[in-house]
Amino acid sequence: MNFELFFYLLVFPGFLFTAILGLTVGWVDRKVSARFQYRVGPPFLQNFNDFFKLLGKETIVVKDSVKSMFVIAPFVSFAMLALVSTIIGTSLFFNISFGGDLIVIMYLLMIFSVMVVIGGSSTGNVYSSIGFGREIKLLLADELAFILVLLVPIIKSGYQINLENILTAQVNGMFINSASGIIAFIIGLLCIQAKMTLPPFQIPEAETEIVEGPFMEYSGPLLAFWKLNHFMMYVIFPFLLVLLFWGGFSFNGIDILWSVLKYLLIVVLMIIIKNTNPRVRIDTALSFFWKYATPLTLIAIVLAVFGY
Amino acid sequence: MIINELLLFLILPLAVGFVNLFLPVVLRKVLTFLVLTFGLVMVYLFYQRLTDSFAYFNVVIFSLNQIGLFIVAFIQILSFIILIFSVNGLDKYSEKRFFFLYPVTVSFCNAVVLSEHALSFLIFWGLSGLTLYLFATMGKTHDAPKAAKKTFIIIGGSDAFLLMGFVIMWLISPSTGWSLNNPQIPLQGEYAHIAFICLLIAAFAKAGAFPFHTWVPDFSQNSPVESAAFLPASLDKLLGIFLLAKMLTSLFVVYPLMNVILISIGALTVIVSVMMAMIQNNAYRFLGYCAVSQVGYMVMGIASGSVIAFAGGLFHMINHTIYKSNLFLSFGSVEKRTGTAELDYLGGLGNNMPLTFLMALIGGLSVSGIPPFNGFFSKWMIYQGLIEKTAILDSGFQLWLLACIIIAIFGSALTLANIMKFLHATFLGRRPEIYKDIKEAPVNQWFSNGLLSTLCILFGIMAVALPLKMFIYPVVEASGMNIPTFVGLYNPLIIILLLIIAFLVGILIYGLTAKVRYDDVYVGGMPALEKFRIAGTEFYNEVRNFTLLKSIYNYAEKKYFDLYEMGREFTFSFSGYLQKAHPGQLQLYVLYMVIGFLIIMLVV
Repeated sequence: MNFELFFYLLVFPGFLFTAILGLTVGWVDRKVSARFQYRVGPPFLQNFNDFFKLLGKETIVVKDSVKSMFVIAPFVSFAMLALVSTIIGTSLFFNISFGGDLIVIMYLLMIFSVMVVIGGSSTGNVYSSIGFGREIKLLLADELAFILVLLVPIIKSGYQINLENILTAQVNGMFINSASGIIAFIIGLLCIQAKMTLPPFQIPEAETEIVEGPFMEYSGPLLAFWKLNHFMMYVIFPFLLVLLFWGGFSFNGIDILWSVLKYLLIVVLMIIIKNTNPRVRIDTALSFFWKYATPLTLIAIVLAVFGY
Repeated sequence: MIINELLLFLILPLAVGFVNLFLPVVLRKVLTFLVLTFGLVMVYLFYQRLTDSFAYFNVVIFSLNQIGLFIVAFIQILSFIILIFSVNGLDKYSEKRFFFLYPVTVSFCNAVVLSEHALSFLIFWGLSGLTLYLFATMGKTHDAPKAAKKTFIIIGGSDAFLLMGFVIMWLISPSTGWSLNNPQIPLQGEYAHIAFICLLIAAFAKAGAFPFHTWVPDFSQNSPVESAAFLPASLDKLLGIFLLAKMLTSLFVVYPLMNVILISIGALTVIVSVMMAMIQNNAYRFLGYCAVSQVGYMVMGIASGSVIAFAGGLFHMINHTIYKSNLFLSFGSVEKRTGTAELDYLGGLGNNMPLTFLMALIGGLSVSGIPPFNGFFSKWMIYQGLIEKTAILDSGFQLWLLACIIIAIFGSALTLANIMKFLHATFLGRRPEIYKDIKEAPVNQWFSNGLLSTLCILFGIMAVALPLKMFIYPVVEASGMNIPTFVGLYNPLIIILLLIIAFLVGILIYGLTAKVRYDDVYVGGMPALEKFRIAGTEFYNEVRNFTLLKSIYNYAEKKYFDLYEMGREFTFSFSGYLQKAHPGQLQLYVLYMVIGFLIIMLVV
């Protein structure tokens, strides 16, 4: 078997890179959020400490649950995220299309929601079941807009669905510099907020209301992996946006700085949205995405078809 | 020559069906099993060597071509697997009829596919509709007779359209006569259009595409699950889509606008039925609507005029028959154990029926198009074809097709949502106490589901090597197209390999660190009671009450969009007037006669 493949998946740009970067960015998130709330915030390595400490804790499994699903759910989503980060990362860093195209990514990402709800509701806890319903409704809400957002770069690159070709199409001008691109980018940012269940779309977890919903019964290493999954998404989604709209990364001299800034800017925008908005109700989220975000992105699609 | 090997596909199952009438039930099962096994062997032999046609009175009646063989192969495979499920589980009375109808239906369906003469096509098409009706009458529910009647009227009515279509085709193209062998009638002028639409109605009614789909949910809800998995989920899809594919590749030559119209109907089918599935509380009805929505993808693929999408559409058809019969049968096992198909009363059975749950999960993920299962591969092919098609059109059509693509992709997200609700309500969440002692399904049932699930995985991971190269590419080539090259990139083997490796890494870390303790579920500091249980059927009420959708749903529940119900209303109100006009008064009848006489005089 190809050694490179394993390296891509397990070290760079897959699991290890995504996990470490994700946990680090997670620290940025926690620190900035703390500053928003006039707190000091955790030390740099706090997320790593949390992860390893959780690994050492006891796992409590519900007696009457579907135990196999309860246990494998976090690992399947972890595997999916490692894979998606590999696919996106190889195109971004090595300019190689590998494993799958944009449609594959779109469908792979749905596995996350599936696993969250299956793992959570396998316990039979009523809060997990409520979280189940909310998670799927949120998926429905943001998915429509998300599909439209992903279609914009497909149209603008002349109907290419390979990540490599979408990147190549941006050599002469990044899609974010066009009217359709910027609209899609902004809506994409909001969709990501919902996909990562960050406030204002933290509806399925809603600690104060349904006590983390699907994750309620999770503890120990299983919870550690759910947390890790969450932080890995801090890498995957911004990278996807950079790839689709912002011309990817470049590593020649000063461009490195720009690349890092691009990524950080998206993350900071996400953190700002997260910290300045209260949690909305699920029907509000539905109408936000279906009544406002989707028509806006439809306009972006029309603009893209006509070349704007 | 009176007997040809080809005829064995027709004669053997038919003979077995009639012999079965006089045999005890055990022998009926054995004989049916034998004939279907023999059918599989025959399919294998025919794949080695395609035989000639079979003529009678110098008219070719049956012939075997690539697409025919492909459909027959899957008729045989699916009826074999579903038979394994049906061996036990039916009650004594139903069993007798079932094992008569089952081989007979296989025979008729084979005959439809093999027919090259329009009349034999029509006759066997009608007969297969008749057995569908007879299956429907086996239902035990309160609404079963109604559903059977509805099925019969829609399917029987579509037969009339088929007849009309063939007659018009015969009028347009007398040189080919009744032969269905590649007449390639150009779609010009009103007659060709009428013929095309007539055939389209027949294909759509059989496959269950919008707006002729309404019999599928009713049939699924009210008939024995074996027949629901056998006919609307598998064989009728094969036949309907077969007719559609035949129409578009060999019977007619269509123009691009017609492609776009058909794609739009496909997209409409996807979205309408998936939205209807969302609000169903009966599992079978729900699965019926799901089955309808998948037809939309097939129509989109086959009608798109792009080779990748055409191959994808055919692939989606067989994938659909596999995972949908899997879902029907998995839930059938649950229903046979619990005695209810109402999702409100089920829940938490994943622990009691782990194998059935696993099969249903695999089927569910396949139907929602989650990689690396088979449903994804075919959908991916269809999307590519549509995107490829879109690229070469002008802006207006581009937007239109993009809308269809968006609907299709969003449709699969909706399907996922539906399937998750179904799985939650059946297998996840909290189990009602009365189902504490439910046991796993009998061996034959989960074995047959297991075969279908294995096919789901195998066709997903080895899509190119197995189904595409073995079954579909020969059909594509025989239809005069080139083998498609993919525009996108999807390597299921690498995807699954990497998924497994990453998964193992995770499990390894867990295995090294885990210390497990078992405990109850607590709510508010107390062990959770059964009253803290939600079935999950109400999950999507927000969607149902969404401003724009609310009134549409209300109209749909009043059956305003059901052609059959509308037709029924119209017929009854019309005959009501006629009834009123016949009060039994002699003077009035004399008046009618005078008026009639005057009209005749005026006309003449």
